[in-house]
Amino acid sequence: MNKRILTRSPRNLLFLFQALGIILLLIYKGKEVDRLTVGTAVGLVLVIYLSNYILTRITRGDHYIFLITTMLVSIGIIMIYRIDEALGIKQLIWISIGIFIFFSTYFIIKKIRIWENLTYFYLVGAYLLFIITFVFGDRRHGAINWINIGQFSFQPAEIIKILLVFILSSYYSNKDRWKDIKYASYYLMGIVYSFILLLFLQKDLGTALVFYAIFLAIQFIYEEDRKLILLNIGLFLIFGLLGYTLFDHVKIRFQSWLNPWKYIERQGYQITQSLFAIAEGGFFGKGLGLGHPDFIPVVYTDFIFSAICEEMGIFTGIGIIMLFMIFVYRGFKIAISQGNKFYRILALGISILFGVQSFIILGGVIKMIPLTGLTLPFVSYGGSSILSSFIALGILQICSEEIKTKEDLDEARD
Amino acid sequence: MKQEIRRIILVLAGLCLVFISLIVYISYFQVFKATAIKNNSYNKRLWINEESILRGSFLDRNGQTLVYSEKKDSGYERHYLFGRLYSHIIGYSYREYGKAGLELQYNNQLLNSSENAAINELKNLVSPTTEGNDIKLTIDHDLQAKARNLLKGKKGSIIAMNPINGEVYAMVSLPDFDVNSLKEDWKNITENPDSPLVNRATQGLYAPGSVFKVITTAAFLEDEDLDTSYQCTGTANVGGYEFSDYNKKAHGSLDLKGALAESCNTYFTTKSIEVGKETIGDTAEKFMINNIIPFDLPVKNSQFPYKGALDKTELASASIGQGKVLVTPLNMAMVASGIANGGHIVKPVLVKEILSKEGKVLKTNTTEILSIATDPIKANMIKEMMVETVNSGTGTKARIKNVKVAGKTGTAETASGKSHAWFIGFAPADDPKVAVAVVLEEDDSTGGSSAAPIARDIMLHVINNIKE
Amino acid sequence: MGGGYIMYNILAILFKYIFIIIIYLFIFSIIRLIYLDIKGMEVISFDDRAYLKLINRKDSLPFKIEEYYIIDEVLSLGRHADNHIVVKDPYISKEHFQIVEDENEYYLEDLDSANGTYLNGDKIYDIVKLQDGDIIKAGQIEFLFVNRK
Repeated sequence: MNKRILTRSPRNLLFLFQALGIILLLIYKGKEVDRLTVGTAVGLVLVIYLSNYILTRITRGDHYIFLITTMLVSIGIIMIYRIDEALGIKQLIWISIGIFIFFSTYFIIKKIRIWENLTYFYLVGAYLLFIITFVFGDRRHGAINWINIGQFSFQPAEIIKILLVFILSSYYSNKDRWKDIKYASYYLMGIVYSFILLLFLQKDLGTALVFYAIFLAIQFIYEEDRKLILLNIGLFLIFGLLGYTLFDHVKIRFQSWLNPWKYIERQGYQITQSLFAIAEGGFFGKGLGLGHPDFIPVVYTDFIFSAICEEMGIFTGIGIIMLFMIFVYRGFKIAISQGNKFYRILALGISILFGVQSFIILGGVIKMIPLTGLTLPFVSYGGSSILSSFIALGILQICSEEIKTKEDLDEARD
Repeated sequence: MKQEIRRIILVLAGLCLVFISLIVYISYFQVFKATAIKNNSYNKRLWINEESILRGSFLDRNGQTLVYSEKKDSGYERHYLFGRLYSHIIGYSYREYGKAGLELQYNNQLLNSSENAAINELKNLVSPTTEGNDIKLTIDHDLQAKARNLLKGKKGSIIAMNPINGEVYAMVSLPDFDVNSLKEDWKNITENPDSPLVNRATQGLYAPGSVFKVITTAAFLEDEDLDTSYQCTGTANVGGYEFSDYNKKAHGSLDLKGALAESCNTYFTTKSIEVGKETIGDTAEKFMINNIIPFDLPVKNSQFPYKGALDKTELASASIGQGKVLVTPLNMAMVASGIANGGHIVKPVLVKEILSKEGKVLKTNTTEILSIATDPIKANMIKEMMVETVNSGTGTKARIKNVKVAGKTGTAETASGKSHAWFIGFAPADDPKVAVAVVLEEDDSTGGSSAAPIARDIMLHVINNIKE
Repeated sequence: MGGGYIMYNILAILFKYIFIIIIYLFIFSIIRLIYLDIKGMEVISFDDRAYLKLINRKDSLPFKIEEYYIIDEVLSLGRHADNHIVVKDPYISKEHFQIVEDENEYYLEDLDSANGTYLNGDKIYDIVKLQDGDIIKAGQIEFLFVNRK
C-alpha cells in the first residue's frame, strides 16, 4: 500500500510529465536545440522536484500549493517553448528566478515581523508605482502598463496588486488602530477606488476588475458596516454603466463579446481566432506541434490557454481549471486554519487574487465573459507575472504555517 | 469568529461555482458549437491545406472548363473563366472573403480531404494529398450564357431543369457580380441595394401570382365534390374583399380547364373557399412549399402559412399566388417538373459527377423522388390545361413551332406596385425534356408578354441541343 | 523531415493521450491526499501503533488541537512551543505531562504541573503504566489512550 502511493505521488507524476514533455520537444525541434537549453530545462526539472521535496521537510504548512503551481508552470512552459524557442528559454529563466524568489519571500516574511503595521508604507508605495507608470510607461496593446528598463520590461501593476492585498490585510487585521479616524472605512474605499480609476486610465481593465473583486470580497467578509458593501456594489454598477456609455473602448469589448462574428475583422479578431483554436483541438487536442497556435494573436500571454486547448485538448484545459480550483480551495483552507488575523486576511486576499484573475482570463478567452488583457498566473509567459505570482505564493506558504506571535517567541527563549 | 468563517466559506463556494461554470461552458462549447465554428472561412486552418493542394476544377456537363487552379511559385492561382456567369453557382474561394457557392459546399471534395478530422490525420500520415477532385456540373454552358443574355438588364432568375432526372441545365440570377474583381468591388457589391450576392434562384422569395394556380388546380382536382363550373363576371367578393380579373374582363362561362388557361382570378378565389385551406395547403406542401428542398446549394423554404389563422380573403389571395404565399424560383421550376413527370417531384441536381484528376469518376449524383404531389391522371389533366394556356390562353408567346408546350403565366402584384412577371412550363408536353421557371423581378410587365418569350427560347435551345 | 515528420506526428498523437492521463492522475492524487489530510488520518495505518484520541469536541475548545496524536517514543503536552502537543490554555503548565514508551509499554508522567494530570479521574503523582482504554485529563482536555497491541 505504501509503495503504490509513493510511485503515484504527485511529485513523481510531475517529474514524469516534465520528462516526457522535454523528450517530445527535443524530437520536435530536432537537431536545433543546444546543450545549454537542454541543461537548463533538465536543471529546472530537478530543482522543481527537489523544491517540492524540501518543502515537505522544512515546513509544517501546506505542501500542495507549490506542487500545483509547478504543474501549471510545466504545462505553460512546454507550450511556450513549442510556440517560440526564444520565449521558452526566457520563461525557463523567469521560472528559475521565480522559484528562488519564492523561497526568498518565504524566509524574509518569516523572519521579519513588521508587516502588519506598514499600511501607510504600502499606500505610498502603490501610488509611487502608479506615478512611475504614468510618467515612464509605454503603451502596448492599447494599455499603458509597461515600463522598460534597458532590455527588460515589467508591469508595475503586478506589484501594486500585492500591495493592495497587504493594504487590505493590514487595515482589517486590527481595526482598533483606526478607531480615531472617523469614516476610516470610507477612506479605504476611496483609496481603492482611486487605484481602480488609475488602472482604468491606463486602460488596464482586467487588473481593475481584479482589484475590485478582491476588495469586494474582503470587504464582504470583514467590514462590520454592511452599508459599505452595498455602496460598493452600487458604485460599481453606476461606474460600469457610465464606463460603457461614455467610453468606446468599453463598449467595443462588450460588442465583440456578444457577437464577435460581426466584427470578425477588427475587434472580434482575437477572440474568434481563439475560438477556432479551441474548437479545432477537440477533447484530446491535435498533438503538440500539430496545431496552429501561431494563428492566435498574443498567444503566449493572454491566449496561452487557447493554444493549450488546441494542441493538448479540452481535457487538459479542464485539468488546468481544476488545478486552479483546488489551488484556491487550498488557499482558503490555509486562511481558515490560520489563527493570526493579519496572515489570515493575507491568505484570503492572495487566494482570491489568483482565483479571480484566472477566472477572468479563462472566461474571456472562451467567450464566456468579455475579454480583458490579463495573464493566466504561472502558465502565461511574462517575467512580471511569474515573479509576482511566486512572491504571492511565498506569502501564501508562510500563511499556511502556524504564526508564532511575539509572546510565543519570548516564551521559547525562556 | 463563526460569522467570519461562514462568510469565508460563502466566498469560497462562490469561486468554486464560478470555476465549475467554466468547465461546464467549455464542455458545452466543444460538444455543441465547435464544428460549426471551425468551418468559418476566417479559420486559417481551413486554408492551410490549400497551399499545398491543387484545388479541383469546375466543368460543365460537356466537359468544358469553367474554373481551374494554376500552380505558381507561391501556391496556386485560381482562374474564373466566366466571372459573372457562374458567380452564384460556383461562387468564389478567397482568403479574405471566404468561400461561397459550390466552392464552399464542395470544399472538401475540391481539396480531396475528408470532413472527419481524424480520418484526415491518418490519411496525411500515410500519403499526403496534393490534388483535389474536379466537379462536373449538370449545367450546359451555352444554355447558361444564353439564359443570362435573355435576362440581361433586368433583375430576376431563370431555371431550366430536366423534369425526370432533376438535372439543372441553367440557373441564372441577376444582378450578378464579377468574381474576378471581387477585391476591388467588394464595397460596391456588399452595399448595392439590389444585393448582387444573393442567388435569387434559391434564396429569392417572390409572390408567385398566377403561376401558383397550377398548385391550386391540383388541389381543386383532389376535391371530387367540387362543382367546377362557374360564371365569371370579372369581379368576385370573397370574405369582404373584391377580387377582379385582369382589366375586370368577364370570362363568361368557365370550367377548371378554361379557368387555368385564361388565368381567371375570380374563379379560383371563389372556389378556394369551398375547397378549404387544408386541401390547398396540404397540396402546396406536396409541391415542396414550406418544405426543405435538398440541393447542392442552400435553398430557402417557400412559404404558405396555412396551419395557423387564415381568413377567407387570405385563403383566396393565396389561391392566386398573392397574400401570404412566397416562393423561390427553383421551387416553381420543380412544380412545373412535377406536372411534367406524372406528379412526381424529383430532387434537383446541380453537381453531376466528382472526378479525380486522372479522370476517374469517384461519385455520380442521381436524383430521387421527394414527393408525389399528385397522381399521373390528374397531372395529365393539368398538363392539358397548361397546353391550352400556351395554345390559346395567356401564354401564347411561349409557343414553339411543331412542339407541344405546356405553361402557365403569372403577373404577381407587389407592395412596391411593380409586378413580377412569371412563367413556368415544360416541353415537349408529351415527352418532356425540360421544365423552366422564369421570373422578372418588379418588371411591371405581364408574365405572358415578358417572361413567356424568354422561356420559349430556353426550351427551344434545350430541345435542339441538349442530350440527356 | 520526410519520414521523420510522420514519426513525429504519430509520437505527438500518442503523447497527447499520455499527457492528459498524467495530468488527471496528478490531480486525483492531490485530491486524494488532501482528502486524507482532512480526515485527520495519516497515510500510515494506526492499527499497530499507540495513540491518543481527543475526547472533547474539537470545536468546543478555544485553542488549536488535533484529534489524533500518534505516540512514538515520547509524547509531551504543555503550553510551551517545544511540546509535541502545544496547548494554549492558561490552566495548562508550560510542561504538563509526557508519555514515554519503554519496551512496548507506555508510561504517563506528570511534569510538576500546576493543576495536575488525571488518569481515569484520579490525580497521578508518580509514573503510571497506561492500559488500552485509559482516559487522561489535563485542564479541560480529555484524551483516550489507545493501544491495540
